[in-house]
Amino acid sequence: MHQPNPTSCNNILSRKPCFAQMTAQEVRLCGLLLKEHFGEVVEKIGTHLLRGGAQNLRTIANETNTPLDLVKKSLCVLVQHGVCSFGSGRRGPGSPVEYQANCERVLRILRYPRYIYSAKTLYGDTGELIVEEVLQRGHMTMSNTVKTVADRLTHNMEEGRSMEYSEVVSAFSKLVETHFLQRCFTVDEAAPAAPSATPLSHGTQAAPASVAAPTAESNPDCYKLPPVTLIGRGKRRRSSDDAEEPRGGKKAKMDSESCGDEGIYWQMNFERFHQHFRDQAIISAVASKLDQTSSEIVRTMLRMSEVTTTPTAAYTQPLSANEIFRSLPPNYSISRPILDQYLSLLVDDPMEFVGRSGDSGGGIYVVNLHRALVNLARATLESVVQERFGSRSARIFRLLLRKRHLEQKQVEDFAMIPAKEAKDMLYTLLSENLVHLQEIPKTPDHAPSRTFYLYTVNQLPTARLLLQHCYKTVANLIERRLFETKENKRLLEKSQRIEAILASLQASGAEPEQLTEVEEMITAPERQQLEALRHHINKLDSTENQVDETIFLLESYICSTKTK
Amino acid sequence: MAEVKVKQESPDPVKIENRIKELCQQFPHGITDQVIQNDMPLLEAQQRAMAINRLLSLGQLDLLRNSSGLLYRMKDAQTASKMKGSDNQEKLVYQVIEDAGNKGIWSRDIRYKSNLPLTEINKILKNLESKKLIKAVKSVAASKKKVYMLYNLQPDRSVTGGAWYSDQDFESEFVEVLNQQCFKFLQSKAEVARDSKQSPMVQRNSSFATSHEVWKYICELGISKVDLSMEDIETILNTLIYDGKVEMTIIAAKEGTVGSVDGQMKLYRGVNPIIQPTGLVKAPCGLCPVFDDCHEGGEISPSNCVYIAEWLEF
Repeated sequence: MHQPNPTSCNNILSRKPCFAQMTAQEVRLCGLLLKEHFGEVVEKIGTHLLRGGAQNLRTIANETNTPLDLVKKSLCVLVQHGVCSFGSGRRGPGSPVEYQANCERVLRILRYPRYIYSAKTLYGDTGELIVEEVLQRGHMTMSNTVKTVADRLTHNMEEGRSMEYSEVVSAFSKLVETHFLQRCFTVDEAAPAAPSATPLSHGTQAAPASVAAPTAESNPDCYKLPPVTLIGRGKRRRSSDDAEEPRGGKKAKMDSESCGDEGIYWQMNFERFHQHFRDQAIISAVASKLDQTSSEIVRTMLRMSEVTTTPTAAYTQPLSANEIFRSLPPNYSISRPILDQYLSLLVDDPMEFVGRSGDSGGGIYVVNLHRALVNLARATLESVVQERFGSRSARIFRLLLRKRHLEQKQVEDFAMIPAKEAKDMLYTLLSENLVHLQEIPKTPDHAPSRTFYLYTVNQLPTARLLLQHCYKTVANLIERRLFETKENKRLLEKSQRIEAILASLQASGAEPEQLTEVEEMITAPERQQLEALRHHINKLDSTENQVDETIFLLESYICSTKTK
Repeated sequence: MAEVKVKQESPDPVKIENRIKELCQQFPHGITDQVIQNDMPLLEAQQRAMAINRLLSLGQLDLLRNSSGLLYRMKDAQTASKMKGSDNQEKLVYQVIEDAGNKGIWSRDIRYKSNLPLTEINKILKNLESKKLIKAVKSVAASKKKVYMLYNLQPDRSVTGGAWYSDQDFESEFVEVLNQQCFKFLQSKAEVARDSKQSPMVQRNSSFATSHEVWKYICELGISKVDLSMEDIETILNTLIYDGKVEMTIIAAKEGTVGSVDGQMKLYRGVNPIIQPTGLVKAPCGLCPVFDDCHEGGEISPSNCVYIAEWLEF
């Protein structure tokens, strides 16, 4: 049984081949991510699909010169993780199945640490492990997830204690209730003769998709928990017995037969996480612009409209002041008139985070999601210009954002920068394509002396440009990280060998002198080098996550302008 | 009976001229031909024209043109004396410069208006300058361009650049200092308002400062040698808005309240940025000057990047 993945921003489950426009930087980044997470073979197939659009099995195998069974396995992996989808071919049903890769989904891999961290802050360690497991496997049944997570938690607990399944189940159900996890929907038709299952996944098979491609959301059972009760405790994995056994192997098959929920697979709902991140960004923007109480009010409003607002809406559901007052967290006891004051201050603020759309019920308020994203993207652009070119260039940039079109002289006058320097800065910004020049001719022959030249900044194209820069930056950081690892491969292998020797010596009870003798096989400068290497890799890793935050803001902004 | 011939005595030209001068003094805005004709109906047109020409050449009468015809006006006695030693061309040039007021006029424009050749113009200008009747002022817009205006006139702001220019140089440090001072004032006001722990509306309103208040503060600080007007301070505050540090609102104010212009008042308030410096700039690639030249396998690549190497060592 196999489930195609639900659609996201780019509609991929269409019967016509949809060539998503992908830039070279995106493809490069996707390739690096695929190689790191799934290996070289999958990377080759994946980048081929990304570059070439929808293709059938034979074409992929021929063009990438890989044996057919490897292609099948790679496609299985990709489909399992929702990167690749399949549909009937161009020539209608009956023609070979075509596969298509989704670039956006691959780029989500970059954000996995952030998803896991959010789950941890919201639902504790249990939530964190659940999300981690589902992300690693792509699709999982509830019973399998619960068992694996319980085992892992038990492993980290002290001797004698183990984790109750019910605790994990409750965390799982909380995640489902708040829509962070959703069901993958099943394919109804039976599959024709298909390749054998790989040991890794739960027996995936290629099957033609149903005629209309519904999303996961359109399935009414999308967020319904399966009616199974799992009773038991986590098992502590002894290093002596099943350490070598693959996780999802025979053991898992046996267990899933005993529970009642085979075939009901769960996956991450990325859109919901993105909504959460977006809300976080808005709340922290309000907190720094206004104050803590205002941000709490906005947080309450956003929480109230979490499940009722579609992810791409421009405004939240209208909320009356009475409702907001009732839903404020109990430790924030502000009186009703004060709340009204805060709300009117939020409405008056030039950033327009909150809007007033009616007067009944004490005033109807909405959070302007689209406006907030526009402001956040704008602040991002200004921040990049400021850090890269200096605060005076940033002044010119902001000036042009506000005043739209200005002549050279006007720019100098408004920004109060001497003419020579202003000219220099404008030309630098122009050469980086952050600022554009608009010509307005006075005469039909466009003579330069009789033409107005106006400088202008367009927020949307500039945001797209910066987004591509971000992709390239992350790809650069990943490559540097791989390079650093490769450079020190010999040293890393040596240290791993030493550690293995040490571990085995310790397990068999060796003398302290023997241990120190082994430890000294790594010299002090080598130890320093290892330490420096570790530091570098960590730094590169954490910076990738930071750049991903910028990517998220810019992508959300661009997405919200598309649907507007 | 013999016919009595009425001898038509030709009126004395001097008397005509005096009469015309009296008329001019009667009507200081100027008199038209019609007025002279009404006064002296017996005067022939030819004699009238001769008298007027004489007065003009003597420099006692000014010839002007308005929508209805020619006007003759009494020339100022003082200026009349000044021009005594000069000839007609100089007088013409002087008049042209005078008409330009305090904006001054460029030598090429003088040439167009007076139709005199360039060499003549230059000679005359030098002459007038030595007599201290006109002066040359360097324009701030184009530093090579000199405009001429009357000696005792103050040059207009557009020529000298106003308070921000001293001797054709834009005073950037002065502007910077003012910028910082205004920002500090607004920031401290906002902080005081925040610490006062009153109701949020009062807090926000007290964190605003009108442009008049800022202007008074700057004047009292005494950091400016030049007198600054409220508009000057508003241009400085606008640069703070473009720096993203300050926001402005306009409220309606009663006419007559201090600092209101046309029934409005501008209020300024210090604000915090809404986001921290964004993630992209934390990577060296975000600030790299050779970002576009960087490719894996090229001369500049992530693997051999000096900037990344330095940054990793931090």
